[in-house]
Amino acid sequence: MGLTRRLQNKRVMGLAKEEKDLKDIRIGFDVGGTFTDGVMMRGREVLSKVKSLTTEDVTTGIVNALDVLLKSEKADASEIAMVSLGTTHTTNAIIERKNLNKVGIFRLGAPATTAIPPLTGWPEDLKEAIGGKENMFIVRGGKEYDGRDIVPLDEDAIRDACKKIKGKVDSVAVTGVFSPMIPDQEERAAEIIREELGDIHITLSNHIASISILERENSTILNASVINVMRTAIEALKKATKDRGITAPLFIVQNNGTVMAADYAVNYPIFTVASGPAASVRGAVYLSGVDNGVVVDIGGTSTDVAYIVDGFPRESSITVTIGGVKTNIRCPDLMSIALGGGTMVKTKGNQVIGLGPESVGHNLVRLGKSFGGPIITTHDIGVATDIIDEKLDIFDTDFAPCIDKVKALDKGLVEQAHQKIKETIEVAIDQMKTAAGDTKAIFIGGGAMVVPKKNLQGVSDVVSPSHFEVCGAIGTTIAEIGAYAEGIADLEIEDRDTAIEKVVEKAKDEAEKAGAIRDSVEILDVEEIPFAYMPGKREKIRIKVKGKIF
Amino acid sequence: MPGEKIFNRLKEWGIDNYTVMDKKSIIEMNLGAAILATGGGGDPEIGLLWALRALDEGKTIVMVDPMDIPDDIFVASPHAVGAPIVLTEKPPSYDVINKTIKKLENYIGKQLDAVIPFECGGVNSTVAYAAAGELGIPVIDVDGMNRAFPEIQMTSWAAQGINAAPAASGDERGHVTIVDTINDNILAERIARRAAMSYGGNSWLVSYPMTGKQVKDASILNSQTIAWELGKAVLRARSKHLDPVEEMLNSLKNTRNVNGKKVFKGKIVDIVREFGGETTKGFSSGRIIMEGLDDYKGSKAEVDFQNEWLNIRIDGEVKCMPPDLIIIVDSETGEPIRTDIMKYGYRGSVVLIPAHERMRTPKAIELCGPRYFGYDLDYVPVEELNNK
Repeated sequence: MGLTRRLQNKRVMGLAKEEKDLKDIRIGFDVGGTFTDGVMMRGREVLSKVKSLTTEDVTTGIVNALDVLLKSEKADASEIAMVSLGTTHTTNAIIERKNLNKVGIFRLGAPATTAIPPLTGWPEDLKEAIGGKENMFIVRGGKEYDGRDIVPLDEDAIRDACKKIKGKVDSVAVTGVFSPMIPDQEERAAEIIREELGDIHITLSNHIASISILERENSTILNASVINVMRTAIEALKKATKDRGITAPLFIVQNNGTVMAADYAVNYPIFTVASGPAASVRGAVYLSGVDNGVVVDIGGTSTDVAYIVDGFPRESSITVTIGGVKTNIRCPDLMSIALGGGTMVKTKGNQVIGLGPESVGHNLVRLGKSFGGPIITTHDIGVATDIIDEKLDIFDTDFAPCIDKVKALDKGLVEQAHQKIKETIEVAIDQMKTAAGDTKAIFIGGGAMVVPKKNLQGVSDVVSPSHFEVCGAIGTTIAEIGAYAEGIADLEIEDRDTAIEKVVEKAKDEAEKAGAIRDSVEILDVEEIPFAYMPGKREKIRIKVKGKIF
Repeated sequence: MPGEKIFNRLKEWGIDNYTVMDKKSIIEMNLGAAILATGGGGDPEIGLLWALRALDEGKTIVMVDPMDIPDDIFVASPHAVGAPIVLTEKPPSYDVINKTIKKLENYIGKQLDAVIPFECGGVNSTVAYAAAGELGIPVIDVDGMNRAFPEIQMTSWAAQGINAAPAASGDERGHVTIVDTINDNILAERIARRAAMSYGGNSWLVSYPMTGKQVKDASILNSQTIAWELGKAVLRARSKHLDPVEEMLNSLKNTRNVNGKKVFKGKIVDIVREFGGETTKGFSSGRIIMEGLDDYKGSKAEVDFQNEWLNIRIDGEVKCMPPDLIIIVDSETGEPIRTDIMKYGYRGSVVLIPAHERMRTPKAIELCGPRYFGYDLDYVPVEELNNK
């Protein structure tokens, strides 16, 4: 499909700034399935932290956490310079098929592409929830890779379609063939749709994702379907912060762990679907100061392993399924394994015959050996091998009220289980590495305290930062804006540097729109992907950037 | 009644043994074909969705055994020629193959009685199924490679002296180029590729018009069944938690009576991509290095690729050269690792499979052996390279 060459020497645009400490007070929230975490930060100092229950509407849980932080009186509302939020509003809406927009779907591509129409492979209930096939049109248009029209855009067909869907849809998704390279047909289509339907929200696919039309179109339609969900959430939070005397701007965490201004995020809710794990990775980086290595996030039932490159989670190259729909949204490359603090160690006599995948989960405090229960878990092996010897904040009780029971376990069995847990972690870390050699590993999450961390194969250093239990919330407060842009170049005509420069400018524009100071924007990655089987020297250029908010 | 036309034709030919392909069969076949594509073949998703859509529209897809077809029927092979990335962004129109076939039929003055798949690949296998469904004619259980290769002359058909021409190259707007070279399949390839580029990077070629007799004499027989059984074996391994690699080898032993061999398990630790290779040679080319794991710890494998995996050296020793098959699959799932989407850190098992004997004739070796790909190596069969 093409070759990828990453430039080894990343060129930093503008001035490479020393990471200045963020002196201002920042507040961040990370909405999880069970808990909504919140932190109040000054620089790297955690002034106050909270774990509050996630509510069904999500927003109430966030506001509750906000109130706890403000009541800590570590800072006055007026001192707060930034409020940021990693949220599951959009993911939940898509998964539950709730409060979705009715979407008018336009594909610019006929006579090509008709073999596989939009919404192919979608779950029926989700199709229905966004208004179904009646609002879907494949109109003549689209681009070739070299910039020619497949055929000229059929503007009349767009107008006719608009007349049919007027009043039936409250959001529109437009996807044109090769629009990530040449967006002008999508932009023209948007103009026409606005003329016909007035002030309706339009999502253009070239703003959403990259080459691979079916997945990009799916991503675009999903984005259009959660516009209202995101808008409602942001309005509610803006009101809540304003009511509490906070004048600071609101930012929303996106899938790579950077943030975007709330008013920008309203247009790109789909960029938040994987923000939770990304925020944790960024928090781990921030707390540990390690910006290349692996992050091992160990919970009660499972462990997520992510690889960090220059402070950001590595992106997944495979399609990401959201609510049963294949997308090519850029998401962190995460590996989940069934190992957590509550994972069951299966035994036969004094032999260990298996590890998990079952976990006692939050019943650890009833079922685990350390707590007088019948089941041997990762936690108990940690207790037996003295890895954990102090009480954890997350447990109300002591870490091992029945320590005698654990100490009575067969030594050989404990050693076998210990080795098995250690190996499981080692293999997971090794699988996520991109090159041979040892790597640094940052351990976070509630289960991190009970697993072996010494002499891990392939690991040079283990870092266990403090405040790991609110890592995600801390990650939201880093105050960096992420953006990217793509372009296509013909190196037989264009100078390579000029071509790259052009895309860099585009990426900077996007970063600025998302809330970054333009001068602070630096390049994270330059990727050039030549087109295979093509004569000439055409390639796709993809630039990732980040910039600062203050 | 749906498919009436097909069944009438089969009756006419005296065939009462045939396979009606359903969704599950297509999915299984598609996976097997993607594995046999040896790292190439493009994104299986588009081929799959296209064939599944034909079924959704009530079309009937029927596969017949090559030995059952009359000698005098007229067939040809529909397939994509061009850049996979273009196909990923610009899927076909539902009628592009039919229209192109019509033009070829008009040019030759005869109608197709059946279609033959071109190669085993995520796109090019299922395309024939979709076309067969659209046209209401059967697909024959053969192809021209039982693997994937990048150029149109690299087939068992060409090795047996069958011409790819006359061929018709079409695009979704209805433009058609007739390629009518005389006994020169390499020139046909060049013209067809130029046509694809001129259209916008991809084209739909209907090539290798031939008779039923020629299908029997020169094709890889039952190539589709081989791929299908392979796909079933891997899916079975997944659901029963068996070793997919072992199941693959067993399946190929059953269907082809060949002894494939797992020669390596390791992790990709380096990818060297030859920038610009596709402009000078028309390929994505380069090399990966894998470091051994488990039983292969301490060993190193280097695999060259030119869209497909071509040549492997383990600890410096050549272990397989084209046209023999190098297949790299995820050790846990059996999912093929493709040259276009592989990444650092991927873990895979390397399996070597002898090419079909019709891909190993002296003429075939000339068309797709190591020298054609620029290696200064005489072809040595994979069995001999691994008999120690």
